[in-house]
Amino acid sequence: MVNLNTVPPRNNRDYYIAIGLEGSANKLGVGVIKCSRSAHMASGDNSHNCDVEILSNIRNTYVTPPGEGFLPRDTARHHRNWCVRIIKQALEEAEIKNPHLDIDVICFTRGPGMGAPLHSVAIAARTCSLLWDVPLVGVNHCVGHIEMGREITKAENPVVLYVSGGNTQVIAYSENRYRIFGETLDVAIGNCLDRFARTLKIPNAPSPGYNIEQLAKNCKNKDSLIELSYTVKGMDLSMSGILAYIDTLAKDLFRGNKKNRLLFDKETGEPKVTVEDLCYSLQENLFAMLVEITERAMAHVNATQVLIVGGVGSNTRLQEMMGQMCKDRANGKVHATDERFCIDNGVMIAQAGLLQYRMGDYVKDLSETVVTQKFRTDEVYVSWRE
Amino acid sequence: MVSPSALYTAPDVSEKRFTVDRSSEKYQTTNGRTTGPSAHVLGAGQIDVDRPSDPKLLSDGRTPTPLSILRMELTGLQDDINEFLTERMELAKNKKLKTQSQADEQRIDKEITKLLDGGDDDDDETKN
Repeated sequence: MVNLNTVPPRNNRDYYIAIGLEGSANKLGVGVIKCSRSAHMASGDNSHNCDVEILSNIRNTYVTPPGEGFLPRDTARHHRNWCVRIIKQALEEAEIKNPHLDIDVICFTRGPGMGAPLHSVAIAARTCSLLWDVPLVGVNHCVGHIEMGREITKAENPVVLYVSGGNTQVIAYSENRYRIFGETLDVAIGNCLDRFARTLKIPNAPSPGYNIEQLAKNCKNKDSLIELSYTVKGMDLSMSGILAYIDTLAKDLFRGNKKNRLLFDKETGEPKVTVEDLCYSLQENLFAMLVEITERAMAHVNATQVLIVGGVGSNTRLQEMMGQMCKDRANGKVHATDERFCIDNGVMIAQAGLLQYRMGDYVKDLSETVVTQKFRTDEVYVSWRE
Repeated sequence: MVSPSALYTAPDVSEKRFTVDRSSEKYQTTNGRTTGPSAHVLGAGQIDVDRPSDPKLLSDGRTPTPLSILRMELTGLQDDINEFLTERMELAKNKKLKTQSQADEQRIDKEITKLLDGGDDDDDETKN
């Protein structure tokens, strides 16, 4: 029996307040949540229905010039220099006057992610913990996405498609673990789209993936896709070869390589495809692969719900394609959130961390707060679910 | 107010202490020499909007607040540590610059190999 009221709130309150700090990639997020300690949480599997109130959700993104990715050193510097400002802003918006009295737990991303940025945020979390005398919880970033998605959409036991710049996984819950059914064998889907955006030299603000999505929407030849490899391998998929090929096409297009008959008309030498066509075809191809492995996972576990989480999950075309698949299956339903919760944020870390804390799982010694770049989703023991 | 300090120890370094010299300019700024944006992103046209804020001043408009003094001293200390560690890395990487004994060189080589690939191959070769 799961008892989410194992650890009572501080100062005899009837609600918990958690602050979450996220900085595993180029987004620095700080969020504060409030969660009531209702009696129904003392038994049963209610971790998807905690009546969470979001008091603040502040995010600052490290944006590089077009054509550039984000380097660990510069990303860590961004986080170091913005962390205090963002924490102050989050506390102010949440109307937290005295963190020492008002906050139950500080949650931070322990991994997976880029080492240097993770380290910057972990130092901030440790400092706040010592300063305010508030316990710490180290959170798995992927589990943060899942728990936030479940809480927002109220999806009880969905197959989860986790698609972001660093991860591409199809996940289903079983016996206190989020089990990985399928995943990318090389680059993550967000990384694939981001790197193509660099080749196209399109802006990285608000995000390269968003800009590709907008270009794809403007494609005028949606009925004639550019042929790309379809590399589903069992429950896994591979995207690096597709990226290398479409990169070549884009470079040939920019260079005006008329020898490329796929891109240029043999007779007139006029281009037959546009950047928008490339973006559209890439999205359609990659998303079709994702939908296929998700559907297979649903069949395996006899699930009717899909939850899409991660930054790429805010892509409306992916949501639409997944929705179509779910509609074709009996009683299927797709759950997704908007960019506030899909894209990395502090609130999701607070939500997963608070669930952990309420089960009595928090840091007893600072040596447990060492961050790790490799931290697989299925390494976490999910004590807050049946 | 007590200034921060740092202590570095390693098998080949008895004790390296980093302390603040308040008269030196490098402990009087929040912009460190080694903590700025990388040359690569600046070369790519990055505008640095992430620089640390300047030190806050007391009401007299001249004296930094105690927390700002701490930030400035930590910035200088961080520069000292970064430069020291960079030198050590260069020393370990570039054999020509090494002045240590042959035994020291072998030890560093072994450490680098172990760091890079876990040293599994070495062990296998020894067995063969």
